Amino acid sequence: MYDHRYIRGVLPHRHPILLVDQVEEISYFDRVVAVKAVTGSEPAYARLPDDSPPSHYAYPRSLMIESFGQSGAFLWMESIRAAGQELPGTLIFAVARDVTYHRNAYPGDTLRHIARMERVVGPNAFLNGQIWVGGELAVEIGSVIATAREASALGEESPSAGPRLATTGNTHLEELS
Amino acid sequence: MNGPTVSGPAAPLVAVDEIDVISPHEVTGRKFVRADDPYLEGHYPGFTIYPGIFVIESISQSVAGLVARTWEDRAGLEPAGITSVRFTAPVRPGDTLLAHCQVSYPGDDLVQVRAECRNQRGVKTATARLEFRLTEVGADV
Repeated sequence: MYDHRYIRGVLPHRHPILLVDQVEEISYFDRVVAVKAVTGSEPAYARLPDDSPPSHYAYPRSLMIESFGQSGAFLWMESIRAAGQELPGTLIFAVARDVTYHRNAYPGDTLRHIARMERVVGPNAFLNGQIWVGGELAVEIGSVIATAREASALGEESPSAGPRLATTGNTHLEELS
Repeated sequence: MNGPTVSGPAAPLVAVDEIDVISPHEVTGRKFVRADDPYLEGHYPGFTIYPGIFVIESISQSVAGLVARTWEDRAGLEPAGITSVRFTAPVRPGDTLLAHCQVSYPGDDLVQVRAECRNQRGVKTATARLEFRLTEVGADV
């Protein structure tokens, strides 16, 4: 089990868009099970009017996908770290295909992500999986491609200002050991 | 030009500043990306990128605005799926995202969207095919 502190050491995302609370299981380069608790204190609910109907309290489906993607990113980055390798750049959400929504999540629910790594081709990792809410299948994800891209390809700022993923992961591991 | 949708389901941010409804089948949404937009402080510290899922939000909210103006009784819109989405260039603070959406209504409650997003320099940043379902406004799901 990996706690939130450990996850911060692996993923470059930070509050309030670090959407993985705990990683329950990992099988390197293969599969991860991660959870995210949905709460009404998230920014997504900040502007919701008091007279909104119940359906408007559904957790945004876009954030469910982001949370799944971060779980997959954790799988890839932690696998790479465990293998003593280094990710060549910054991780980018490049492609998603065949995503089907079945049910909503609401404040108080827990998202359980099961992400599988199909294969890695060059700097691209192909993931698929499901999001479960309360024992029910909420979202099926046919395919997500995450790409490691050189920070210089992302903008004009110094690459050193970017989230150098392997570095942050290693730093944290040294603290833990 | 029309104003953005201000009330609706919970959303991570107001992802369109304005929408231009061209016809019941075509809409363009415009979003000026700011470093202090909700959630962006954590994506990522010191190197802000407008998340890909927020590009999907910009498309979705543009179409929601179109649907609200086109349908009287069933003007709610619920995401049903992502057929495909491809992000081809990063969107960063100071950029203006233009989401051009072509919308079809193939039957039942289904809404299909083909979107192409560009920045203010005309660079394509994303293409997407999304599906939604029409719902009654404020219906309990």
